[in-house]
Amino acid sequence: MDNTIDFKNNDDLAFFGKVNASISHELKNILAIISEAAGLLQDLTAMARKDGNFELDMIQTCSQDIVEEVQRGFATIKQMNTFSHSVDDPLKRMNLSEVLELMIHLGGFLSFAGKVRFDPPQESAAIVLTCPWRLQNLIYQALIYAFESVGPDGEIQISLHPQKDGGARITFSGLGTKSARTFPVDQTRQIAASINAEIKMAGDSHGLDILVPQYIESMR
Amino acid sequence: MKVLLVDDEQKFATMLAKRLALRGIDIDYVYTGQDAIAKAETQMYDVAILDVKMPGIGGIELERKLKALDPCLKTIFLTGHGSKADFEAGSAGAACYLAKPIQIDELLAILREIIG
Repeated sequence: MDNTIDFKNNDDLAFFGKVNASISHELKNILAIISEAAGLLQDLTAMARKDGNFELDMIQTCSQDIVEEVQRGFATIKQMNTFSHSVDDPLKRMNLSEVLELMIHLGGFLSFAGKVRFDPPQESAAIVLTCPWRLQNLIYQALIYAFESVGPDGEIQISLHPQKDGGARITFSGLGTKSARTFPVDQTRQIAASINAEIKMAGDSHGLDILVPQYIESMR
Repeated sequence: MKVLLVDDEQKFATMLAKRLALRGIDIDYVYTGQDAIAKAETQMYDVAILDVKMPGIGGIELERKLKALDPCLKTIFLTGHGSKADFEAGSAGAACYLAKPIQIDELLAILREIIG
């Protein structure tokens, strides 16, 4: 069994860079809001000292905004931590619902991200033994294509279907035709092949499936 | 001086606009490029402060559209992304650039400088 992830494919590093850049952008936005809220509190305090006029509603709004943004920051850092640790194990048992939720959240930081409706399976969890890093990369590439296909005002649907053979099918539906790129490109096919996954495009181009096997013995 | 602020981070836009208003700046703020164009079609602005990364019409494309309406409009870009060099390489020619989180005194100084 492989015990390392081979980064010979530049797509792996590009994926890492893209996700980290989008997370840093999100964190900067959070800090910018906290900074403005703190600055506004200073302004309101100075005004109150000067003329005795307390804008209590505004002070309360600023304080609440700071609390909410700190929580948003902690949630983002937790997701960043989960993503960063996905390179720790070349093969790992993964709950696909959790992987999809993480990638949907991280993908949501992209400026062109639209809305996503995710329907996790109700009856049974989809657990697979795979390479977490490669699986995340594959889902992220599909997500980028899906976002591009509908534009930032569009909505895509993602559903997860455990299969009788123990694997799972991830379905992206509601795709549009706005993407200027073809999907999947060769590098994305290679990533899929390295974990024995398969990408199937719907005939009408409005959907795609990713078939994930129940387990792989090693990465190709 | 009439200023238009455009940023899809609604809390950020609201608070920055309030802080600038407290400092005597006449400011309108909106959260999308589409709303900014609608505003600019009915109002005259001296300066537009634009977030670079926004869903739909991003800041750089928005600058072109706003300047098509008013070639004299001055622009300041705000961004949470990358370095100044990265930004300048990707823009058609920014009037000014500020990285988030911003310093209000720095923004005020820039506003006064570009209006003159």
